[in-house]
Amino acid sequence: MPLPPSIYHLSSSHLRLDGRRWNELRRLTAQISTQASADGSSYLEMGNTKVLCTVTGPSEGKGGGRRGDEDSMSVDVRVNVAGFAGMDRKRVGRGDRRITELQNTISSAFSSTLFTHLYPHSTISLQIHILSLDGSLLAASLNAATLALIDAGVPMRDYLVACTAGLTPPSGRGDGDDMDPLLDLNGSEETEVPFLTVGTGGAGGGDVGGGGGWV
Amino acid sequence: MSAPLPPLAYPGLPLGPSSLYTPGPGTHLSPSPSSTHIHASLAGRPILLPPSNKTSTLTPSTNNKATKPTPSPNNRGGAISVPSILPSATHARPTSKNISNKNVLPEVGSVVLARVLRVRGRGVDVGILVVYDKPIEGGPGGGKEGKDGGNAGWGEGNVCGEEWQGVIRREDVRATERDGVVCAEGFRVGDVVRGVVISLGDQSNYYLTTGKNELGVVMAKSEAGNTMVPISWREFRDPVTGATESRKVAKPF
Repeated sequence: MPLPPSIYHLSSSHLRLDGRRWNELRRLTAQISTQASADGSSYLEMGNTKVLCTVTGPSEGKGGGRRGDEDSMSVDVRVNVAGFAGMDRKRVGRGDRRITELQNTISSAFSSTLFTHLYPHSTISLQIHILSLDGSLLAASLNAATLALIDAGVPMRDYLVACTAGLTPPSGRGDGDDMDPLLDLNGSEETEVPFLTVGTGGAGGGDVGGGGGWV
Repeated sequence: MSAPLPPLAYPGLPLGPSSLYTPGPGTHLSPSPSSTHIHASLAGRPILLPPSNKTSTLTPSTNNKATKPTPSPNNRGGAISVPSILPSATHARPTSKNISNKNVLPEVGSVVLARVLRVRGRGVDVGILVVYDKPIEGGPGGGKEGKDGGNAGWGEGNVCGEEWQGVIRREDVRATERDGVVCAEGFRVGDVVRGVVISLGDQSNYYLTTGKNELGVVMAKSEAGNTMVPISWREFRDPVTGATESRKVAKPF
């Protein structure tokens, strides 16, 4: 059920539901080397979205070269959404299509960012645990994974960062001038507003890729 | 002279023009052909290696010690390197002095310490944790007994970077009455076992034997979780509860 359009109509208050302006990020905190037992690890908070990422490897692939790509490292991504992550407690199954797509997106993003050719016949596995879910899931996962990979010392072309952006619906008064872009959507905004997640390299490179999602 | 190297580099950070430097370990050339910069591929403190030929090399190194940025009065003919300040993926666990970055490989005759991972009817799966330097004398069959308080002369223990899979087959558990061995009476999951590699085994396992007096379980915990002491060649006792459990006991020195 859409919220009243006035919530997005910034000309009145210029503030969003959570008090941010249209171009403001949520509070961002991050730590690396949080898990001593992993090769690399990170913990990232984007507002109320909290993500823990650990990296294992590169190590010899399980199944001994069963994977097709022999010349380069394969990036294995497991995303685990904790049952308590959302507003209502529910189990997200392993076969969830949304999660599978998320894993594939992250895997392909890092396959092109890491120097996978340096590690033939090997697998690097990223475990991403979503501890708290409040929007920008893909962006937070990518950012946390980048930090964990830097911590692990895996050579990469560039660091990969991601953020979401959305566009508010027109207020219905006609001209469409009142549609406003929004940066870093939270969970409730994500359910109401079409949005896109953009991942990009840092200073050294151009766009790495983008993945999207919309209502 | 170009701008000095940044004190800290992160992946993707431009370090210097490739016209002045050559990329060393931990760096790469920019992906786009339009710009000709050397970029870091790792997080670390970049260093400038001394000029070797006619070029400078920029490399991020993975060595923790050589991380001081070297100012270069003349960087004609040097290389830039980025040593990682963070543990690299392959050398990540500096826990013990004996741990070696080179992979320690057991060979036939090596004395090893292994942890029991699974006990089955036909054998015991173990993970090899430590490999001693010197193979046991006279091969797995012979060998001398430890005379002094030391470790019977098989040298220094090297901690394996990763656990190697091994198996003690039922017939290799002890030297006598090999047919009557019951694996569950000799080992329990979590025991630390001293054994000798008798063969490189099949594709995934080293084959070990404990078929000598000084080979067998060296450390075991009871069901109650207390470390036990050996009381005979086939029994450990929990000093707290007094319960005894049967093991293939290694002869203490």
